[in-house]
Amino acid sequence: MGIAETIAEDSPGKRVLLMGNEAIARGAIEAGIGVAASYPGTPASEIMEALALAAPRLGFHAEWSTNEKVAFEVAAGAAITGIRALTSMKNAGLNWVMDMFMTLVYGGVRGGFVVAVADDPDAHYSSNEQDTRFAAFYGEIPCLEPADQQEAKDMTRYAFELSEQLKLPVMVRSATRLSHASGDVELGKIQKLDRKPAFDKHYELAYRWNVYGPPGPVEKHRWLHSRMPLAKRAVEKLPWNKLELKGKPKLGIIAPGLGASYARDAVRRLGLEGKVAFLKVGTPTPLPERMVGRLLKAVKTVFVVEEGDPLVEFQVKALAKDLNPRVKIAGKLTGELPPVGEINSDIVANALAKLAGIRRRRDRAREFIKAEVGELVSPRSSTLCAGCQHLGSYWALKQALRKLGGRVPIVNGDIGCYEQGGYGIFAKAIKPSFSTESVRYPIESPYEALDTNYIMGGGVGLMQGEFHAGYRDGAIVAVAGDSTFFHACIPAVINAVCNLAKGVFLVMDNSWTAMTGHQPNPATGITATGERVRALRIEDVAKACGVDFIRTADPFDLGATQAAIEEALKHEGFAVVVARRVCTLQAQREKKFVGKKMVVSPEKCTSCRLCVSFGCPAITYKDNKGGIDFLLCNGCGMCAQVCPTGALSVVE
Amino acid sequence: MTELNLIIAGVGGQGSVLASHLVAMAAIRDGLRARVGETFGAAMRGGAVASHVRIGEDAPTPLVPEGGAEIVLALEPLEGLRNAVKYLAGGGILLTNTRAWTPVDVNTGRAEYPSMETIRGAVEKLGGRVIAIDATSLAQQAGNVRTMNVVMLGALAGVDKLPTSPESLKRVIRENVPKGTEEVNLRAFELGFSAVREK
Repeated sequence: MGIAETIAEDSPGKRVLLMGNEAIARGAIEAGIGVAASYPGTPASEIMEALALAAPRLGFHAEWSTNEKVAFEVAAGAAITGIRALTSMKNAGLNWVMDMFMTLVYGGVRGGFVVAVADDPDAHYSSNEQDTRFAAFYGEIPCLEPADQQEAKDMTRYAFELSEQLKLPVMVRSATRLSHASGDVELGKIQKLDRKPAFDKHYELAYRWNVYGPPGPVEKHRWLHSRMPLAKRAVEKLPWNKLELKGKPKLGIIAPGLGASYARDAVRRLGLEGKVAFLKVGTPTPLPERMVGRLLKAVKTVFVVEEGDPLVEFQVKALAKDLNPRVKIAGKLTGELPPVGEINSDIVANALAKLAGIRRRRDRAREFIKAEVGELVSPRSSTLCAGCQHLGSYWALKQALRKLGGRVPIVNGDIGCYEQGGYGIFAKAIKPSFSTESVRYPIESPYEALDTNYIMGGGVGLMQGEFHAGYRDGAIVAVAGDSTFFHACIPAVINAVCNLAKGVFLVMDNSWTAMTGHQPNPATGITATGERVRALRIEDVAKACGVDFIRTADPFDLGATQAAIEEALKHEGFAVVVARRVCTLQAQREKKFVGKKMVVSPEKCTSCRLCVSFGCPAITYKDNKGGIDFLLCNGCGMCAQVCPTGALSVVE
Repeated sequence: MTELNLIIAGVGGQGSVLASHLVAMAAIRDGLRARVGETFGAAMRGGAVASHVRIGEDAPTPLVPEGGAEIVLALEPLEGLRNAVKYLAGGGILLTNTRAWTPVDVNTGRAEYPSMETIRGAVEKLGGRVIAIDATSLAQQAGNVRTMNVVMLGALAGVDKLPTSPESLKRVIRENVPKGTEEVNLRAFELGFSAVREK
């Protein structure tokens, strides 16, 4: 039985294996959710994927929205009418919603509203390591932080109740090691809420849903502050905040969420059970202050173990000033735990051992062998898939820039599969440069194509600044995908047109949000729950934005794509090139693509390595000959266009 | 008590995540507790992937501690070595497919791919041992190269360290693989199982 059945199954007490994200979705389903909206982002995407599987059967609305801000507003709108709603996103996704987030809280909500955010310490899939719990603190709303999959489900379910009790959005904060880990979860009952949406513009507060309506934002800010004492009272009674304090231990641990799991593991491994006090925290903001106070007064040292930045540690320090200024507080601020990257039970156990005065033996001989053997392990650079159409776009871009790009072209990147064009070759050591002049670097693979990359939609904006700054040492290009185009690029495209920027914007349109697991977007023509809708065309949108130079090309046709980019490079103004072909993996899945039969003729190979520089993972290079790994090859035929001697060719 | 710490390593697209979930589901079916932590790089395909499977009561965290894995099950040899260096316990087993998926770093001449003999020697230095089978060929023999991950699950059952029975594993395989592929997957399982039993 797959997740499609499990997620909507009403069998309380049954134990199933759920991923953290699926557990969050299940919690929302058990709470009787009415509307769910999200934009894909790893490690959060499976929350919405699971909800979308359940939505048609259980009769609630689930959608992939154009971006996180729209998703947040869709869910908030539902909550204003009294319906339970959830929005989910990755860490960086929350940055997109901050405007609405910081303002919605001034009047709050009527139906339960849960904001589920999955952070990514160690930046496994993200451009930064931001700790979004600070946003809950900033917006003055409660944050629940589960320690395992069971808590992820139970806390999400409860978050709707807390939200309705306080009339405020409630954040559920996950992290990669919870979202992308699976554990056994006992299912609860699925509530059937028979709520009718209702609208009352003065519901319990005048002009509640209109922040400017009298008495205006300052009074609404005062109302927001009136919530915090209620929230603080509520969190003291939660089962997920629990103080274990027996006898007179010298050392106490305060650990929220995953930190509690790691700390519990470390305590057990060091045989410290019952010898240290332990405050397991489920609400990093607001903290269960009375429990924290009891602990601070009882011990000499407090060790704060948290995943992310020191949110709890800061607050504990502030509380200690009044309650027990002499207590030592150890954690990320004092260097016991590393201030960047993620923690794990090995790291926590080493730090705890030091604080508890336990000497741990180091096996130096083994460490030496590990280091020696570690040298044998080749890095494995991240690559695009075999037969990925982006390989064709990058090849065409590279050839066009070689001809017309000037001395040092700039290629501004963006977020999606094609961002791997900026990941580099892991095994290649790069020395920083301190030049004051523009510097040209050789590009040996598509993975070295991108020069800048930050956030969704960032590249097409950066290119305009580079142009207006007067950069003329080379062409200025930006690339983005279809989902990114709709998510974040449209205002920047309009800006380019209306402020006379010059540059080439290459949209690599594979018609799916592929990087995060093939969710549909406006280019796809399908909704989250599988209904057919109109597919939007990038060139139509660009045209409506006022772009007068637009070309489209099939990236499997390397020559035609190169020609389109060359024409765009010659254009005196802002030019859009759409390189469109459905993602090869998705086309195969839908049986819309049958690969060509390829053949290798080693005797024709002149060892020029052009095939290797094309960057397809199915290309091999052994004994100075290019070849194809037929287990990986999808038969796109692009390498045959790259190979100048016919050593790699298509069987006609 | 932790009854098994297992790491399933491979390259994105080979099915290591599904394989790890199948082991955990079998454990839950047998009344044990199970946890799976997935670690992978940004890419969906082609990147290094590893799933940590922990079976037993004493496994509150999703990741196996360093040097704590009794078995590293590798769908690709280099990924097996990568994870064995960090996680394999003294006396542990690296159970690996012999078929390499060469990284672009090697193709571009920036790194070298270690031979099976080098891998074997390295793991023995670490105090472990290597069992290697050509799971890719066995999967082709079973009828579909994509069942390679299930061949390796059969091999895993064959080394007899799992706290679950081969029957439970076969049952969850039958229930969770795409419809219509049950028989080819079970064939793949048996081929992996016997390949290890014959070693």
